[in-house]
Amino acid sequence: MQAYVVARDLGKSFGPKCVLRDLDFTVEPGDVVGVLGKNGAGKTTLLEIMLGFSPASHGRVSVFGQESFALSAASKVRIGFVPQQDELLAPLTARDQVATVAAFYPNWDAPLIERLCNAWELDLDERIQSMSVGQRQKLSILLAMGHRPDLLVLDEPVASLDPIARRRFLEQIVEVTAEADRAVVFSSHIVSDVERLASRIWIVQDGALRWQGGLDALKESVVRIRIRNAGAAEALPFRALHVTRSAGHLSAVVDDWSEARHAALCSQFGEAIEVEPLSLEDIFLALHR
Amino acid sequence: MFQLNPHSGVPIYRQLCEQVRRMIAGGQLPAGAALPSVRDLAIEHAVNPMTISKAYSLLEAEGLLERHRGRPMTVASRPRLQAGPSQRLNALNSELDRLVLAARQLDLTPTEVIKALREKWEAADAGIRRRTGSR
Repeated sequence: MQAYVVARDLGKSFGPKCVLRDLDFTVEPGDVVGVLGKNGAGKTTLLEIMLGFSPASHGRVSVFGQESFALSAASKVRIGFVPQQDELLAPLTARDQVATVAAFYPNWDAPLIERLCNAWELDLDERIQSMSVGQRQKLSILLAMGHRPDLLVLDEPVASLDPIARRRFLEQIVEVTAEADRAVVFSSHIVSDVERLASRIWIVQDGALRWQGGLDALKESVVRIRIRNAGAAEALPFRALHVTRSAGHLSAVVDDWSEARHAALCSQFGEAIEVEPLSLEDIFLALHR
Repeated sequence: MFQLNPHSGVPIYRQLCEQVRRMIAGGQLPAGAALPSVRDLAIEHAVNPMTISKAYSLLEAEGLLERHRGRPMTVASRPRLQAGPSQRLNALNSELDRLVLAARQLDLTPTEVIKALREKWEAADAGIRRRTGSR
């Protein structure tokens, strides 16, 4: 099956300021991509350019085989998007807002929305202006799911959700991803959610993709090593991040770990080596220090 | 049934593989026992379904699980013995390293640790006998 999203050498500048550069990525059917990055790293701009909300300054990006900035209506209805700032109409009730959006989509799944409203404890008769930020966020997510989009893109969807609503959200995304021909791209600062759901990770740093690939591959290639009783003069046989020495012990993060590296260390240091796997949060922090 | 910790540095599919292997070795999952569906397990733990199916496929390739059309996966009736005792013992290496380190920090002798280990072992044996009703 054809990739849903293909970006090649994609870049974006606002005037002289370069906010995205050298981006090459694809999103395949079935992918769940977790986008991580510090505030201001360029996550939101990346998602917006990917979907064609603003033109690229450099390179190209296509969705469903069409240039993103010139997507046909037929392609747009296959996309669901949850922006960081919702675009709900304050005077409407939730019910009227749902009806307004549903009218655009012939394939609107009303029973799904009804079921989710119940599960997520959303009162359809409440006016949007009197809703909490969290309730608005839930509604915004629902509205992006009602037409069962093939490509669901969410920018910080859970920032305002309580732990229970977040869990409901995660379960719903699992349901979506159980259908093989759908793909999800979501950015989040809640690394543990990304860790649960994502099959692929994009780490955005200073407008570039610092790391992209499978979550399992990331966890297997970034590890912390500890070497007991390493002599002060003894150096690692390869480049490593954050090498610290205290009381004769050496600790370092290696971002391209492999069996060959392990073997090289074993032959140099013998049994005194410990390899500690890192959580995604630790990996994210290590790559940013 | 399983404990999956997404926060751990160990990939979730590996945690699941490890636990299924242990439960088969320990008799909690006897031959023919059905495993939860990919979808149920994914929703229960709120993890990506592909992670679960990756683990199941690996275990199938190892000959521990069998796939059936339209039915849950089951524990293979005669799991292929994959490795000799020394190789299986190798799989315990990191746990043994941790145990030795903790025992040394606590200033325990090997004799004391081995005695405790033997008692744990016998308690586990008794547990399996209770569950399976076998010898």
